[in-house]
Amino acid sequence: MNRIRVATFLFGALFVVVPLLVEAHHSGVMFDSTKEITVEGTVKEFQYTNPHSWLLVDVTNKDGSVTTWGFEAEGPTTLMQRRIRPSDFPFGTKVTITGNPMKDGRPGATWIKAVRADGKAFYPRGQAPQQ
Amino acid sequence: MTRIKKLPALLLIVATSTIVAAQTRTQAQTEWQRMFDMGLKYGTALELYTALKSTAHGGLQSPPFARLPDWSGLWTASGGGSFFGLGPTGVSPKLTPAAAAALNKGKELDANGISYDENLSECGPPGFPRWLVIPFLREFIVRPEQTWLSSETVNNVRRIYTDGRNHPPVEDRFPLYYGDSIGFWDDQKLVIHTNQLMKRSMGRNEPEQSDQMETVEIWEKTDARTIEAKVWIYDPALYLEPWYLTRRYTQVANTDKSVRMNYWHCGENPNNDVYKTPDGSTQFREFTFSPKDKR
Repeated sequence: MNRIRVATFLFGALFVVVPLLVEAHHSGVMFDSTKEITVEGTVKEFQYTNPHSWLLVDVTNKDGSVTTWGFEAEGPTTLMQRRIRPSDFPFGTKVTITGNPMKDGRPGATWIKAVRADGKAFYPRGQAPQQ
Repeated sequence: MTRIKKLPALLLIVATSTIVAAQTRTQAQTEWQRMFDMGLKYGTALELYTALKSTAHGGLQSPPFARLPDWSGLWTASGGGSFFGLGPTGVSPKLTPAAAAALNKGKELDANGISYDENLSECGPPGFPRWLVIPFLREFIVRPEQTWLSSETVNNVRRIYTDGRNHPPVEDRFPLYYGDSIGFWDDQKLVIHTNQLMKRSMGRNEPEQSDQMETVEIWEKTDARTIEAKVWIYDPALYLEPWYLTRRYTQVANTDKSVRMNYWHCGENPNNDVYKTPDGSTQFREFTFSPKDKR
C-alpha cells in the first residue's frame, strides 16, 4: 500500500538534522527541511557509496504503478558508526522510511528514519530526541 | 520519606555540577582570550611560529618514536571555533571591507536557501584551512621526521615536516591546496607553520582566503579521546588582525574495528552528481533511479 504523508517538521529535529547536512559534498538546499515524507515499500538497492549513500525503495502507487524513491544518507563510514550496514537492507526488505523531500517534487529525500518490518529502526543522522 | 531524604543530595549534585560547568567555561574563555591575544602580538604567522620555537628552546626535530605521542585510531571533528563566528569571549574576527561584504552576501544567500560549493561539489579538495572543519574521518600518522594529518574527504593528506627542513625559498613557492607545512615538537605538542596556500573559497557562501594566508597551529592530545588544535590565521586580504580558533577531534568508538578509512571518490555514485543552477544554488542531475522524472 502506498502511503505518503507530509507533516510539519518537528521543531527539535531542525537542530539535530540540519547541522549534519552542512559541509557534506553538496549542500542540502535541494531538500525541504520543513517537511517530512513517509513511504512504505521494498528495498530495490542499498547504494553504500561516498560521499552519500542512497537507499532505493520501490513504492507501489494507488494505480498499481511503482515509483522508485531514493533516500540519501551520509557515506559508508558515517553509516558504519550509526550501526547501519549494507546487509541491513537486502533486496526485497520491507521498510517504512521517512525523510525531508526534494523541493522540486522528484522522488528523492534525505533519509531520517527507516523502520524494517521486524521493527528495527535506523537513523543515519542520529536519533531525534524524544518529543 | 526516602524521597525527602534524597532531595538535598540531588540538589547538591545539581549545584556542584552547575558550578563546575561554569568554572570550566570560564577557564576555557580565559584560555581562548590568552591565545587570541598572543596572536595579536605578532605581525605575521612566521613571527609567532619563531617565538614559539624560541620558547621551546628550538623544539625537537626528528625525535625518537619513544618521545612521540600516541595519536592512533580514527578521529572525527567535534566542534570548536569557526573562521567567521564569534569567539567564546564574544570577540568577533575583524574582516577587511571586501571580506565583510562577501560574508554578508553569503548570509543573504543562505537566508534565501541558495548555496553551492565551488570546491567539493566539483570533486575538488576542501583545501586548508577548511580542512579543519570538514566532517568524515581523520587519521593522524605520527613519525619522527614527519606527521601526516589525513582526512577521508577526497583522501587528502597534510604532511608536516619535522625533520628540520625549512619552507622552499620564496622565489620557488607556488600556491597549494594544503600549503607547505613545517613543524617541531614541543614535548607532546606539535607546532606547525603553513604557507603557500591557495586563493579559494573558505566554505559555502563564505569569503575567499588569499594566497597571502599563513597559519600557525599547536596540536596536542588533551585526553584519551580528544586531540585539540589551536589555530592562528594571518591573512591581510581577509582579516585586519589575526584570528584564532580552537578545533577539537574526538576518537571514534571502534572497539570491533568495523569502521575503516577507505578510498573516497566523490564521483563514485552518479546519484550524487550536482550542478550549479542559474540562480547560483545546487541541484541534483537526473537520478539513475528515476530517469523519467521531470526537473
